Amino acid sequence: MKTVAKIGGKVALTALIAFVGTFTLYITNGENKLIYYVIRPLLNKHYDNQVRDRRIV
Amino acid sequence: MFDKAIAAIDKKLQRFDPIWMAENGKGGQRTRYYDKTGVAKYREWRGVRDTMVDYVAWLKNLASMARMVASAPIPCLKGFWEYRWMGSYLGTFMFIDRLFEGYRGYELKIAHLNMHAIVHSLTRKIALILSNDRRLGGGPLTDVMVPMDEVLPPLFMTGFKELVAIPLQLLPEFIVCDIDQHNNPYYIDVAESFGLPADVCSRCAAETGVAMDDAFPLIGKAMVSTNMPCNASEATSMFQRRRIGMPDFPATLAMMHNEPGGNKFSTQVLKDCIAFIEKEYGVKYDWDNLFKHAALMNEQNRIELEKWDIMKTPYSSLVGIAETLYRLYQWAAANGQEKYFNKVDRKVIKIMRKSYSEKYIPFPGKTRHRAFLWGPSAVYYTDFPTWTQNCWGINIVLNMDSTMGHNMINTSDPELAIEDLAKFTEKAVMRHHAVGGWDNFNAVWEWAKNFNCDMVLYNDNIACKGTLGVHAVMEEQARDLGFHFIFVEHDLQDSRTVSRQAMRNCINGYMSVVLGEEPLDPTIVEFDDSDAY
Repeated sequence: MKTVAKIGGKVALTALIAFVGTFTLYITNGENKLIYYVIRPLLNKHYDNQVRDRRIV
Repeated sequence: MFDKAIAAIDKKLQRFDPIWMAENGKGGQRTRYYDKTGVAKYREWRGVRDTMVDYVAWLKNLASMARMVASAPIPCLKGFWEYRWMGSYLGTFMFIDRLFEGYRGYELKIAHLNMHAIVHSLTRKIALILSNDRRLGGGPLTDVMVPMDEVLPPLFMTGFKELVAIPLQLLPEFIVCDIDQHNNPYYIDVAESFGLPADVCSRCAAETGVAMDDAFPLIGKAMVSTNMPCNASEATSMFQRRRIGMPDFPATLAMMHNEPGGNKFSTQVLKDCIAFIEKEYGVKYDWDNLFKHAALMNEQNRIELEKWDIMKTPYSSLVGIAETLYRLYQWAAANGQEKYFNKVDRKVIKIMRKSYSEKYIPFPGKTRHRAFLWGPSAVYYTDFPTWTQNCWGINIVLNMDSTMGHNMINTSDPELAIEDLAKFTEKAVMRHHAVGGWDNFNAVWEWAKNFNCDMVLYNDNIACKGTLGVHAVMEEQARDLGFHFIFVEHDLQDSRTVSRQAMRNCINGYMSVVLGEEPLDPTIVEFDDSDAY
């Protein structure tokens, strides 16, 4: 019984931490800010420097 | 007790709800955005229940994307590195947020069910294509994939059970242009740098640019191109087949598809196409497999027809962009191939029946006009139907793309089935109401009347040669029939020619000057989102 309660408590705590973490990311629009201000500018820099095989045929 | 606690929190936090803010003169939807960028400082607060619905949907979409990367980590990384258009998919979350601003209750639930189906399907397709892209190393399915034009519905290809039909332009151009307004202009510039005139359809120009930039995934042994939906598509098909350099079958379906001889012609084209694939891939067409998938498509269409009946009333919780974008993808890309969409359709119709029986009105009390939309891609990257509702109370009841092939397909006789498939295929994306003679254009009024609309929004693609010719006639017809009629100028996938705000101004001008109405949310009448995805 004690073990079950212990495991249950750990699962509940993990779920709570996961909820708080993901909900904070969600409500602060964190992932979009990271993508817009950091990831995409870096990727665009890379795309702009690519040498592509541009031709019609 | 629980309800009381939620009500108390809702009351406490209502000052963050953009609808409450607009109603009380304290701001609105645009208040929480950084200027120009389309980046929100925080996500929309919709009250506890609806915010949780949105949060769970976000989690589900995040899980789908994580699954995509986990299922093919190296091809996904290589894909991001190789293809500019892959980078644009990172704007998906921002895109979804924009699409469903102001949605609450049943309409929010349905919108997310529909949107998740698209994300679920698309993430799997991306992983599948990149894992088998010859450019990135290839995979076990590279040679059994059949690249085909995205405008050709892939249902008839399900008769080849050993093969995987891939709408070639879907990932690099067709979907991504909706997510990121800055993506297609790059490819348009590539095409124009080779001398392509700047006044052609920008969708076709962008596809041509993808081909010239060597940015199509390399899959399959032979391809199926098409003349659909129009003459500009024929041109881009020619550029693509030259650059890709594989054996190609041009599936040229009848343009005048309402003519009695049209269907016979298109039926023969499909038969010839099947023979071409059999020869090139060394496989035999299996009618029973086709019947299995046609039954799934028939179910999708049966449910669609029931949805339309509810949508004719004010009590439809399937509205705006949640309807039009889903139908576009469900029809053109899933097309009887993915059972998941049947599952979603069954869930959605159940909610629609429930909300109808409760006489639930979406966007409570805010809708002033019911509009039929005649609009292609430009309405997606601008989240236009959402904006028309939030700003002016114009509920987009149905879009022209939603009226694509909805005839049932015979599931027992091959000869009848292929005739039905030809009819179904002729009414593909941008064909119904746009190509094939005056009757198709003119049907707009009948559709608007049947769906009890008082308004028609008509997207005026400044580079669409066919539609430009009917401009004045449509305006005259609208006047005679008594519809509020607004031309929305745009350059399809090139937002540099006609900006998002210039498109919105077409509505702003009519609503304020002609109808003398006040906006529901003044913060979104005029704003700069030129740097947004």
